[in-house]
Amino acid sequence: MKKSNLLILVLSSTLLACGFSFAKEEAAADCKKQIEELKEFEGNCPCFRAVMDEYVRENKYNEFAAYLKTLTEKNKSVAPCANYYIALTRYRQLKYLEEQQLWDEYFNEGNAYREDLVSCAQAAIDATTPADSAQIYSRLALWQFHQDQQDAFAEESLIALTGALGEYAKSAKDYEPLREAADILSGYGEKSRSKELYRLYAQKVISPDSDTPDLERLAAGFFSQGNLGLAETIYDAYIERVIKAGPKEKALPVLTGLARQFSYQPDKPNDPLYAEKVFMKVEELGGKEVFDQELMYLRANNLEKAKDYAKAKDYFVQLTGFYPGSTYADEADFKTGVIFTYILRNAKEGEDYFKKLAKKEEADPWAISSLYHLGLLLQWQDDFEGAKKYYTALVEKAKDGFADTVALAKERLKEINERKPLEYNLDTFLDASLKEESGNFDMSKVETAVAPNPAKPESDVEISSSAYTTESGCMQVVLQYLWSGDLASETPPGDKPALRTKYPTPGTKVVFLVVTSPVGIIDRGIAIVDVR
Amino acid sequence: MLAACSLFFAVLLTSALAAARPRAYIKKLKKSQYQLIADGKPMIVKGVCYSPVPVGANHEYDWWSDPNKPWMTDGKLMQEMGINTIRVYQPGPNPEAVRQVIRDLYANFGIRTILGNWLGFWEYPAPFYGDKAFQERFKKEVLDMVKAFKDEPGVLLWILGNENNYSCLGQVNPWSSDEIDKEPDPQKQKAMRFRIYYSFVNDIAKEIHKLDPNHPVALGNGELIGLEYAKESAPDVDLVACIIYRGKTFGNLFKSLKATFDKPILLAEFGADAYDAFLKKEDQNMQAFFLESQWRQIYDNLAKNPEGEGNCLGGAMFEWTDEWWKHNESDPEAWKVHDTGSNWSNGSYYFDIKAENNKNMNEEWFGITALSEETESGLNKRMPRKAYYVVREFWKNPKPLPKKKGKR
Repeated sequence: MKKSNLLILVLSSTLLACGFSFAKEEAAADCKKQIEELKEFEGNCPCFRAVMDEYVRENKYNEFAAYLKTLTEKNKSVAPCANYYIALTRYRQLKYLEEQQLWDEYFNEGNAYREDLVSCAQAAIDATTPADSAQIYSRLALWQFHQDQQDAFAEESLIALTGALGEYAKSAKDYEPLREAADILSGYGEKSRSKELYRLYAQKVISPDSDTPDLERLAAGFFSQGNLGLAETIYDAYIERVIKAGPKEKALPVLTGLARQFSYQPDKPNDPLYAEKVFMKVEELGGKEVFDQELMYLRANNLEKAKDYAKAKDYFVQLTGFYPGSTYADEADFKTGVIFTYILRNAKEGEDYFKKLAKKEEADPWAISSLYHLGLLLQWQDDFEGAKKYYTALVEKAKDGFADTVALAKERLKEINERKPLEYNLDTFLDASLKEESGNFDMSKVETAVAPNPAKPESDVEISSSAYTTESGCMQVVLQYLWSGDLASETPPGDKPALRTKYPTPGTKVVFLVVTSPVGIIDRGIAIVDVR
Repeated sequence: MLAACSLFFAVLLTSALAAARPRAYIKKLKKSQYQLIADGKPMIVKGVCYSPVPVGANHEYDWWSDPNKPWMTDGKLMQEMGINTIRVYQPGPNPEAVRQVIRDLYANFGIRTILGNWLGFWEYPAPFYGDKAFQERFKKEVLDMVKAFKDEPGVLLWILGNENNYSCLGQVNPWSSDEIDKEPDPQKQKAMRFRIYYSFVNDIAKEIHKLDPNHPVALGNGELIGLEYAKESAPDVDLVACIIYRGKTFGNLFKSLKATFDKPILLAEFGADAYDAFLKKEDQNMQAFFLESQWRQIYDNLAKNPEGEGNCLGGAMFEWTDEWWKHNESDPEAWKVHDTGSNWSNGSYYFDIKAENNKNMNEEWFGITALSEETESGLNKRMPRKAYYVVREFWKNPKPLPKKKGKR
C-alpha cells in the first residue's frame, strides 16, 4: 500500500471515529434536552440510558448522580426514572471501584453509595407500577445488589422481582425488560427462573401471525449472540411449527441442520444436550433410516463429548451395525471397547470390540491401540504370555508408525521381561476400574476436560481435572493425581491436576486418572482425546 | 416508712436477682433471635483471634509468660480500635501467667477473653474420639481450665474444639474405632463419627455447666458441617462458634444454621489475608475490603435487626498479628522470614485466585497488624494494617442498610 493511501486510510478512520463519537455526544445532548423538558412520567424512561452511557463512558458516576438529583429537584415528573438511574449508577460505580481497586473512594464513600442505591431504587419502585419498565429495572438492580452482598434482603427482593415480572408480562408492549431480566438471572445461575422468563418472552415475541422464517431469524440471532437459553426456547417453537407445517421430507433437513448446529464443536457455541433433544425429534419423525453414517457418528460423538457414555456407546454400536464399512466404523468400535471396559466396567464385552479391531489386517490407529488394550488387560490379570503376544503383534504391525502406542507397548514388554509390576498409576487405575470391590469409584467425583478436542497431531493439548473432596476448612487436603495411559511424551508429576502434551500420531487417545488423598482413592477419571 | 421499706425490698430483690444471674449468658428473644448478655448488658462480640507469636518463634512459644507483656501493647491498640474480646485457642501452660493476661486485658482495657481447648485435635497419629481413655484425658484438661479461670471477671465464654468436625469426614486428622471399622457404608461411618464426637463435646458441656453456670459453652465447628448430628448429640452447648472463610460474605450461613441447629452463632474465626499471591505483593486494601464486608453482614444478623436472622452474637476475626512461623513450620530458620508462599486455595477470595495452582491464602499474612523485625520495648513493632482502621471506622458507625419500606 502506498504511503499516501495509508495516510488517507488512517485519517478517514480517525475522522469516522471522531464523527461517531461526536454523533453520540450530540444524541446524548438531545436526550438531555428531552429529559429536562419532560412534562409527565414515562414508564420506560426514554433517553436516560443514552445520557448515562455518555457519563459512564468516562466513569463520571458522581457527576451523573448529581445531575439526576438536580434534575429531580427541578422537575418532579422525572423523579422515578432519575431515581432508578441513580440506583443503577451507584450499583455500577461500586462494581467499578472494586474492579479497579479504587479503595480510598470505596472505603470512604461506599456506605453513602449503598444507601443511595437502596433508597433511590426503593423510591423508584414506590412511585411506579409493575407495568412500568422503570419498576422492573429498579427491582432488578436492587436484587443484584442484595444478591452480590448475599444479605438478608436477597431472597425477598428476588421474590418481589419475579412477581413484578409476572405482572409486567401481562400488559407489556416492550418485552426487552423480560429478556434482560432473564439474561441477568441466568448469569446468576437462577436457571429455572430465567427459563420461565425466556418462555414468557418467546410467547410475547412469537405471535400467531409471525411467520416461520422470522422465527428462525430471531432464534439464529440469539444463537449467534451466544444466548443459547433464549435461542433454544425460540427454536422449540420454530421446530414445532416446522413439524406441524410438514411434510416430513421438508422438516427433516431443517431439524438435522439444527441438531448439527447445536452439536459439540470446540470453540463454537454448542449445547450437546439440546442437540440430542433435536436428534430425538429427528428419529421420532423419520426413524433411524434418516441417519446417514455421518449424522449417526455426529450424534454418538456429541453424546460422548457430553459424557453420556452409555448412550454414546449405543449409537456407536448402531453406527457400526448400520454402516459396517463406514469410515467412522473403527473409531466407533474402539470407543465402544473403551466405554465398555473402562467406564461401564464390562471388560468382557469391551474386549470383543478390541479383538474385532485387532484382527484387521491393515494397521490403523484403532487396530494398533486395540492390541495395546488387549495386552494391558491380560497383563493386569497376570497373563503375561498372553499380554506379550498382543504387544509383540502391535510392534510388528505398527512397523515404523504409531510411535506413541509402540512406545507404550515396549514399556509394558520391558516390565514383563524384567518381571517388574505393571506401572503403579496404570495398575491403580485398572484396579479402581475393574475390580468388583471398587464399584464405588464411579467417576462422579473426578471431572476431566480436554482442550482442544479434537486436537491436531504435534500440537498442544491440555487435559485438566477437578476433584470433588469433602470440606476441610483451612486444612487443605493434599491430593495426588495418578496420570497414566496415552500421555505421549509427558510424565506429569503427582501433584499436578492438569497436563499439557502433544500427540505425534492421529487416533483416539485414552488418558487415565486416579485422584487420591492421604486416606485413599477419591475417584477415577478418564479423558478420550480425538487426534486428527 | 412504707415507701422506704418498699424501696429497700425492691433494691434487695434486684440485687438478689442480679447476683443469681450468670455473668455472661445468652438471652433467647422472639423468633429464635439471640443476644449475649455480659454483666447485665447486651454485648456484641467485636473480637480478634490472639496469638502474638514473635518473629523467629513458633506456636510452642509461651507468650503468656513473656516478660515484655505483648498483651499490654496490643490491648491498648485493640481498645483504640474498638475490640472488646480476644479469642485464644488454648491457654498457656502456666495458669498464673494466663490469669494475669486475662486480668490485665480486662482491668486495663475492658477486653474480655474467650478461652478454648483443641480437644486433642492435633494429637499424633490421630484424635481418637472413639476411645474412652482419650475422651477422659481431654475432658479433664478442659475441666481443669474451667476450674482455674471460671472466677476471672474477664472470661467471656468457653469454646470446645475448633475445626475438629472435619476429622469426622475422614480427610483431615482421620480417626476411627472398631465399631466404625465394622460398618461398610462410608456415609454411615461418617454419621457414626459425628455422633461420637458431638456426644463427647456435649458431655463436657454438661460438666462445665455444673462447674460454672456463669459462662456459656460454645461448640467450635468448621462451617456448618455435621451440625445436623449436633442437633441430636450436642443439645447442651449454648452456642456454635463457627470457623468460616467464605470471602466477601457468609452467604446463607445464618439462615442455614437456624434450619439445622437453632443455636446462636459466634463467628469465631473469619477474615482475609493481606498478601496478593497473584501479584506477589502485600495488599492491605484487599484484606480491608473483605473484613469490612464480613463485619457488615455480622451486624445485619445481630439480634433485634428486623431484616436479618438475629442469631449472630458477633465475631472474632483472624487474627491480631501476622504469624511468621506458619508457612514452613518445621524449619526454625523459616520462622524468621515473612514467607509469601501459600498452602491453600479458596476461590471466594477472588482477587488473587489466579495465583499458581490457585493457592491464594497466605497463612502468614492474616494479621490486622503486621509485625516488624524492628523491636520496641522488647516486642516486634506492631504496624496496624488498613483493615485496622477500616473496621474501626465501621464499628464507630455500623451503618445498617436503609430501613425497608414496603416490599423490596
